[in-house]
Amino acid sequence: METFDYVARILPALLEGTKITLVVFFATLLLAIPLGLPLALGSDCRWRPLRWFCRGYVALFRGTPLMLQLFFIYYMLPIYFNILLPELTAAVITFVLNYAAYLSEIYRGGIGSIERGQYEAATCLGLTSFQTMFGVIIPQTVKRVLPAVTNETITLVKDTALVSAIGVADLMKNSRSAVNRDGSTMAFLVAAIIYLLLNVVLTKFSYYLEERFSRHEAKETRLERRTLWH
Amino acid sequence: MALTDRPIIEIKNVTKRFGSLTALDDVSLSVHRGETVAIIGPSGSGKSTLLRSINNLEQISSGEIVIDGQTLAATPHDRAEYVSEKEIRQICGEIGMIFQHFNLFPHMTCLRNITYAPIKVKKQPRAQAEAEARRLLELVGLSDKADAYPSQLSGGQKQRVAIARGLAMNPAVMLFDEPTSALDPEITGEVLAVMKRLAEAQMTMLVVTHEMGFAREVADRVIFMADGRIMEQGDPQQIFENPQSERLQNFLRSIIRS
Ligand SMILES: Nc1ncnc2c1ncn2[C@@H]1O[C@H](COP(=O)(O)OP(=O)(O)OP(=O)(O)O)[C@@H](O)[C@H]1O
Ligand SMILES: [Mg+2]
Repeated sequence: METFDYVARILPALLEGTKITLVVFFATLLLAIPLGLPLALGSDCRWRPLRWFCRGYVALFRGTPLMLQLFFIYYMLPIYFNILLPELTAAVITFVLNYAAYLSEIYRGGIGSIERGQYEAATCLGLTSFQTMFGVIIPQTVKRVLPAVTNETITLVKDTALVSAIGVADLMKNSRSAVNRDGSTMAFLVAAIIYLLLNVVLTKFSYYLEERFSRHEAKETRLERRTLWH
Repeated sequence: MALTDRPIIEIKNVTKRFGSLTALDDVSLSVHRGETVAIIGPSGSGKSTLLRSINNLEQISSGEIVIDGQTLAATPHDRAEYVSEKEIRQICGEIGMIFQHFNLFPHMTCLRNITYAPIKVKKQPRAQAEAEARRLLELVGLSDKADAYPSQLSGGQKQRVAIARGLAMNPAVMLFDEPTSALDPEITGEVLAVMKRLAEAQMTMLVVTHEMGFAREVADRVIFMADGRIMEQGDPQQIFENPQSERLQNFLRSIIRS
């Protein structure tokens, strides 16, 4: 009963933190998912300067720790460029820049996995390369990259904990405050459960999306897959 | 009269190299309106490369390609030069292509596969494009499959939808690259029947095929290729009953044996 009361007491602060965690999460997804696409297309662009820029960008953000990127944007931009951002803004910007790089590589792999015959059929029908890309290739890519993107989003839920390092009051930071203050690790346990719940919901949602984007597959194969994996 | 006599496809001295490999070696060929030409020959003889050069899926090394009087590529000096991107698109709009592996768009229904290009490229109103698509589906015997996705069709049905899709752009010429090679033997007939009907309707067709029955029965002319060259051509009877070159004799013998 005592435990119950304690949890009830710390829960409001943890839920406040969860809200911030969700803000970082959704803002990152909302911005990084579209931003990854021009990066992916640019990385395979025939025009070299653009290709090099995009590939360099991706190498930079995938090749350095996210925490370091966070520190760079939050602590070093003010020093070198005189740009001081609020913690939450700095966190979201860093996450968007970072996740766009990862997502672009996933998109690039997906686009590259579409058979050459699809491009050839589209060309023979007189479609422009723009129409081919956005009408034929990318819609097919969505389904193929969905599992990898889901993985990335689950990682994102957990990565958001990093924002506490620059003082954003997210679920991680608020649970640590409770632990430090009360000398009980119960807050960590509750935080773990909340993170877990977020990911369960996310996974369910992604199954739903995969189902939706597979509607052009024959019904039987769809059912078969479901019984095999779900 | 002179105008209708002009070949719809004119290929002059076309050579195509992949690196050091010569896939087409000084090939010349004219196809006239309404003609059905079958191209036969062993694997690697350049049949696909020839078709793919005609609609710019491959770029030739030298020679000249003229489609319905419009030059696609010419060789004023020593290397082939192509006309502008825009002209290429316009010229190749006259040519439809059917692939061995269908290449239907898997995320679109059959109807959408057929109407997509007419709506996007020809700016046809949707209603008109759909009415035309349904007419074409009926033509290939699949009026009940308009709302099916390609994955729900058999191979033969997929290829017939692909033919309907090609016809929807109202091309002057249809190229077929082994349209039945990916199909089970018992369903090649349904695709060949559709092609036969097109031939009878005076569609100009260039068909790479291993179906000697089709070549013999439907083609007006048969071309035998080997080593990137046209070795022999003539009407089906002449090619099949009275082959001149030893290469063709051997080829026909090997086909019959298998
Ligand atoms: N993209 C390519 N790159 C390099 N070589 C190629 C390419 N496409 C074709 N070739 C080569 O060109 C030659 C002719 O190939 P092509 O595909 O035209 O033959 P084909 O007559 O269609 O044979 P098949 O009956 O097997 O389809 C072959 O030796 C082939 O290996
Ligand atoms: Mg071939």
